[in-house]
This record gives sequence, structure tokens and C-alpha cells, in this order.
Amino acid sequence: MFTRPELEKYLTRCMQSDADFAEIYEEDELTEHITALNEDIEQVSSSRQCGTGIRLYRGVQSVYGYTNDTDDASLTALIEDLKGAISDNEAGSCPAASDVTLTRVEYENNNPVRIDFEKTPLSEKASLLKRAAKAALQYDPRIEKVQSGLLNVRQDVQISNSEGRLVSDSRVRTRIMVEAFAREGDNLQSGGDRPGAGMGLEFYEQTTPESAGREAARTALVNLSAKDCPSGKMPVIIDNGFGGVIFHEACGHALEATSVAKDQSVFCNKLGTKIAADCVSAVDDGTIPNAWGSQNIDDEGNFQKRRVLIKNGILTSYMVDRLNGRRMGVPSTSSGRRESYRFEPTSRMSNTFILAGNDSFEDLFEGIERGLYAKKMGGGSVNPQTGEFNFSVSEGYMIENGKITYPVKGVSLIGSGSEILMNIDRVCSNLERSQGMCGSSSGSIPTDVGQPAIRVSQITVGGTANE
Amino acid sequence: MNKKKWIEYALANGFDSFEIYQETGKTKTVNWYQGTTDSAVTSRVTGTALRGRISGKMLSYATEETGDEHMEQIINEMKEQAGIIGSSESGTILSPEKTDECTSSRTYTPFTNEEIRAALSDLEKSILAYDPCIVQAVHLVYEEESVERTIFNSKGLDIKDKGSVQVIGGGAVASRDGDIRNDFRHETVSSFDSFNAAAFADKLCGEVVRQLGAGPVKSTSCPVIFEKEAMTSLFAAFSDIFSGDRISRGISPLSGKEGRRIFSGLITMIDDPREDAAPFIYNYDDEGHPTCRKYVVREGVFETVLHSTESAARMNTVSSGNGFKGGCSAPVRAVPKNFFIVPGDMPLSGLMECIGNGLVITDLAGLHAGLDHVTGDFSLQCSGYKVTDGERAENVTLITVAGNYLEMMDRVLAVGNDIEWKTSPAACPSIAFKELSIGGL
Repeated sequence: MFTRPELEKYLTRCMQSDADFAEIYEEDELTEHITALNEDIEQVSSSRQCGTGIRLYRGVQSVYGYTNDTDDASLTALIEDLKGAISDNEAGSCPAASDVTLTRVEYENNNPVRIDFEKTPLSEKASLLKRAAKAALQYDPRIEKVQSGLLNVRQDVQISNSEGRLVSDSRVRTRIMVEAFAREGDNLQSGGDRPGAGMGLEFYEQTTPESAGREAARTALVNLSAKDCPSGKMPVIIDNGFGGVIFHEACGHALEATSVAKDQSVFCNKLGTKIAADCVSAVDDGTIPNAWGSQNIDDEGNFQKRRVLIKNGILTSYMVDRLNGRRMGVPSTSSGRRESYRFEPTSRMSNTFILAGNDSFEDLFEGIERGLYAKKMGGGSVNPQTGEFNFSVSEGYMIENGKITYPVKGVSLIGSGSEILMNIDRVCSNLERSQGMCGSSSGSIPTDVGQPAIRVSQITVGGTANE
Repeated sequence: MNKKKWIEYALANGFDSFEIYQETGKTKTVNWYQGTTDSAVTSRVTGTALRGRISGKMLSYATEETGDEHMEQIINEMKEQAGIIGSSESGTILSPEKTDECTSSRTYTPFTNEEIRAALSDLEKSILAYDPCIVQAVHLVYEEESVERTIFNSKGLDIKDKGSVQVIGGGAVASRDGDIRNDFRHETVSSFDSFNAAAFADKLCGEVVRQLGAGPVKSTSCPVIFEKEAMTSLFAAFSDIFSGDRISRGISPLSGKEGRRIFSGLITMIDDPREDAAPFIYNYDDEGHPTCRKYVVREGVFETVLHSTESAARMNTVSSGNGFKGGCSAPVRAVPKNFFIVPGDMPLSGLMECIGNGLVITDLAGLHAGLDHVTGDFSLQCSGYKVTDGERAENVTLITVAGNYLEMMDRVLAVGNDIEWKTSPAACPSIAFKELSIGGL
């Protein structure tokens, strides 16, 4: 990381141009990934990524450059390129720039780490995978094999800008990923579990590798007996935890300023209006201690916040980064995030979830003659402009006359976000969050999705059963 | 980085072989919005990946800090890995092997800044002028990228491979009576003079405007044509079922099926990292193994499992030159590179006549999640149009298509002749299938 005088020198140089704002993002990231097949450790890979990204604004135009060649000559050359590019856009006079003076911002770490993965012997980390595999293999004799991975990441960032702000953050996260394979004759099915958190290895004291292994095995076994699922519109109960991917896809992305600022979202100009059923309130909260999607500061150096997106069905906030805030004429909501120095930040989610309601789980099944219970979800995607979204169901069951009858496989759910939000008619009290990786223009970032179990009166279900 | 010094140090400290892989990428991207440059990105990044073997175990480390002062610490950290890695087969550090290198016939002349602005401005105007229904031109972008890979190892391998590409992309949004449709396309461009903004806009906007008013159909099972781009995306998403990584572990639906008929006799699949029509060609894989053209499936018969040195060792065979990384710091995996389905001789209109009544799928969504790579089952959001009596009829959207990839590829009616390489290392013609499940109303 550069020293404060070095950063002041570079930022001052950046501002000796047509730029009205300059920012330097420095990153030093260590990633460790251990993989295993059954109880045999197959691979350990470590990677270190260290680089710098520099961004200049002129009004709502931006230029961004990044390199991992951070000697003075290379960085100076990059700055001169960027200055040329920001001035190249339109004719304009170069304002007289004053020297940038930085003040370091200190704060209390909201995401402390107790057991540092870098100080833990490899053998101890490998044993976490062996424990997960053992638990899965012992769960049932039909579990044939188990693949697993342990991911540990430490991302140190330092962000400075021409407004004089200098701030650092150290983000540590860990995740165990277990996939179990169950066989019955020629029928081979898989099931997975991937819990994680923004903390050190103490995470595995509360969420044990054994629990992840057993959950993966349980899902694989359910899929062994799953039947083809019928297609068509029907009521769907989406369970808590990763079920929240429905809100992430159907609504979350379309509330990011990345789409809203350029009139490319179905939710443009809808602040203060009703976009969801009364029973729906939702937040994006980057401040939850040690959560998977939490940070002390966003990737533009602002303190993370809790953003209430929807309150009782009314849209109350978008998620806004600095540049799109300029376009929209509103301040940043501390939502500027990026995968690494190789990406220019934009507005992104952190830990996004629907708040708990008052219904009991049993209430959700009342009155459903034929529907789907989506217990576990896979990933999904959305077209923010049209609001059309899709996501896959990794563990699902048919509901007939209010009762769960049989498991189904090969299922996806599709719909339009604006319609689905209005069609949520029951919200349970069992709020839970789960971990995922979210992809967008600023790369792949860790985010929590979450919700209590909800019921949607109608969604299009895609299956393979011919009726 | 003094590569010889690193290798000597590694060999002196217990490694029996050692490899240094380096990748240097340069990019330039310009985004255009509402008549002006919106943002510009420039980069130069070098990454280094180290691999070495001790007692038959492959150890690895990737870093962007390669000053010689880090050598001792990094190599010692790699040695620590040997203590926990188990007994499974590992990859090999390769000796040099003679091969005739080829060069791509594609050449690129980078645009000047003035040419970039002129091309994107022209494209924006062409999109907006296409039809009164077009309300926005979005995601207008010019990108150039060059990558150079070098591999240097203790067995005398010292190779270099490089490639570059230039791409222009753009999107259009159409609106009518409250219905909004959008699409995005991109194409490689060899030079400013070869770029035809009006032709690009015609291809993009024609389909977007046609999609206005589209809606779902009733749930049904019917003959389905996957139009070439949709077919390519599904084919690419399922390509890992041919990987030795999955087959050797018994978690591909093709495990144990080598030499057997797996698909319709109309299906032939070739993997050729040196395919000249593809955007990049590769003389070597990322382990330094020379690449070659190979039939993966010939007339429905599964001929070749794709292998890296590690997956080959697991199956007691040799690498097929398919050990590639998904980025400098990623591990080597056995993957296809420039993988395609051999085209037939029927145009899309012929395929439509062939099915008579059914559906043409032009776009798929949710490919990263809606596939099961263990069973081949899939269920995906899609859009396209109906076919009635062999002719294009109403447009459809917000439906799902579901089935099993292996069963589907065994029930082929006809293979089209319209293969087109774009920016991905996979390509397919349009293909007509007997029946798939459609989920809608």
C-alpha cells in the first residue's frame, strides 16, 4: 500500500486535469482454496492479487485504469493516460487544482476475526473438509462420494480520494462448499450446502462441517426419489434462507442505481409508490457484524449502511454508488462495490432480505390445491429493464390439497419482478440468510440473500412432466 | 522475476520439477451513452502461476508479486502443501514436444480514439433511427484485449502464445403500449473501415422490435428448434460433461460411456483449439501441451474424453492438450477450447419446414443455475417464436424449456447449416429436436 504522502502526490497529479474528482483504490488479496474428494485432499491453491485502480470523474463521465505494475513510473504513466482520456472527451479548460491533503479515517472494526486462517496450520483447515466428507458418507450408504472445498479470503483495501478521505478495511471471509453424490442403480443425483461468513475459522464452531456434509447428503437423497415436475402457473411456497434469491433477482438488481440512473429499470421513478404487497418490507444491510456480504466501508470508502428498500410495500430507497448518484442527483447510499481492483465500482447489494412477517409456516399451505414448495433454491438471473427473472429450484416438492406429497426435480421458476412482489400473500416469521456470489458489471462479490418462508399466489413453473 | 533462479531454488529445495506460467493482459474499453463517452477503462496486468511436484504431488501458488525477494517464502509455502495432499493422481510438468505452430488469419487494427467515438456515435444513431419503437440505445461499447501467455519449466519447455480481439457491442430497448423488450449483441471487428453500424443495428433492432407484444404460450410438449445462438449457449454450458475431470470422478452423465453411441447419428462434435474461425487460437494448452483437432463425438459416438495431464493420469491415459485455466490464478482443468457442432446442410427455414408446428428458441436465460451437470437435466427461461405450418408465427416470451440434454441430443430431427463463431470458444448451428417440455400459462 502507498504511504499518505505518495497518495497525496498521485491524487494531486490526477487533479491537475479536467477531472473534478479522483480516487485511488489499492488492494492486496490473499485467497486460499483447499479441495477434497471424499476424505482425500486433492489440491491446495493459494493466490495473491495486488494492484491499484485509479478513477477520475468529470461530471458524469469517468475514466478508470488499473495495473499491478505499481512502481512510480508505471503509475505516473497510467495517470497521464487517464488525464488525457478525461480531457479528450470534450473541449474544456483545465481548472487550477490545489494540492490534495489526506486525512485518515479511523473506526471500530464491525467484523472482527478471532481465528486467523493465515495463522492456522493447513492440516487443521484440511481436517474441516475431512469432517464434512465423513459426515456425508456416514449419513446413508447410498452416498457414493463427496466433493468439498474450503475457501479463505483476506482482502485488504485502502481507498483515498481528492476530497481528502483516506480509509482502509480488511475483509476476511470463509466458506465451506460440500457436494454429495447419491446413487441408486444408474440414478446418480447430487445435493449441496455452502455456508460461509465474513469471519475467521471460528465460524466452524457455530456452523460445523458435519452439518454442511449432512445437509448436502440429505438433499442428494431427496433428489434420488424426485419425479418430473409439471409445468404451468401455480402457487409457490419459497422457503427461508436462500429462497431470498427471488427478492435478489426479482427486485434487488432492478433497485441498483446501475440500472435506475440510466432509466433501465422497471422501478425507475417509483420512489414512494407501491411496488409490493403490504406484507413485504425489505432491507439491504451491509452492517450486520461478520455477515458474508458485510464490509466496514464500501469500495468507494464510505461507511456501510442499512438501507430500507421497501417498507410495507412502498419503495423507500434505491442502492446508489457515487457516480450514479451524480447522474441521479442524490448522494451515495454506500453501495459502491467491486470484486477487485480490476473492476470499476458500481451500485451493488450487500446482505439483502425480506423482513419477517407474522404467518406461521403451516399457514402458507392453507388453501393450496396444487402448488410447489421450493425448499432450496439454486441461482438465478434478471433482466432489470423488463423485470423478467428466472431461478432454479434445487429441492422442491409438489403440494396437493395443502399437503406436501412428493419431491420433484429439474424445476425453474420464472416471472416478472413487479408482478411477483405484488403476488406475495403470506410472509412467515422464520427469517434466515444464506450466502451467495453475485455477478454484475463490477465483478463477482459475496452477498447474503434472505427471507422468511413466503407464499406467492402464482408463478410460472418450468418442469418436464407431460400431462 | 529471474525465472532460472526460481527454478534452481525450487529444485534445490526438494521439487523434482517446477513450472512458471505468466499471463500479461492489456485491455482498453470505451462505453458510450447519449452522445458522449460515458466511461473508459484501460489496464495492464501480469499474473504469475507457479506449479511444482514433490513426491508425485502437484503444488501450486499464484501471485502478482514476483520480485525475487518473495522467492524463498513462496516456495516454502508451496512445500507445506505437500504435507496434506493425499494420494490421488496429480498432473505433470511437461517436457517440450515438437509441434508446428499456426497463426490466426484474423488480424486486428486498433481503432484510434476518434474512430472509437465515430463508430459508437454512428451505432447509437443507427439504433435510434431504426424504428420509432426503439426508445434507447444502451450498453454501447468498444473493447480491445490482448493476452500473452508464457510457460517456462525445469524440463526445458519455453513457449509463448498470444492472441488479441476487438469487439463492438450495443443494445436496444423497444417499447410499445407498455411492453418493453431489449436485446444486446456484440461482434468482432477487424478495423474501423470494416465496421458497418447500420448492418449491426438492423440485426439487433429487427429482433427487438419483433419481440414487442410477445407473451407466454400454454404449457405443452412440442418440437423445438434451438436457433444457433441459443444452441451455442446451451452446448457451451453443458460442455463440461466431456471433461476428464468429471468423467474420471464418475460425476458426468457420460462416465463409462466412451466408445458408445450417446447422441443421434446426426451429431458430430469437434474440439480444435487451433480452429481458425474461432476468435482466439491456442497452439498450446496452459500446461504447455501442444493442442490438436479431435472428434469428441463422431456421428453420435463418444470418441474422445478431454484431458489435462491430471485427469489423464486418473484415467491412465495421456493429455489431449485440453488443460486450460479459467484465469491466471485458477487451477488447470480439462476443458474444451474452440468446441463446435459440425453443421449440416439445412437453412433455418428448412428446419422450420421440418418441424411443421413447434417453437424456435432464440434466447436462453439462467444457464448458470438451471442445469444439472450430473444428470443432464435442465429447465431454463427462454423466448423465441412459434412455428405454424413451417412458417414463423407469433413471438413468445416468459416461458421455460425443460428436458434432459442427453435425451434431447439423441432425438435430433435435423442440423442446420448456419454456424457462426462470435466471441466465445464454442459455436453451433441451429438444431431441430423432436420434442421438449415448454412451461407457460
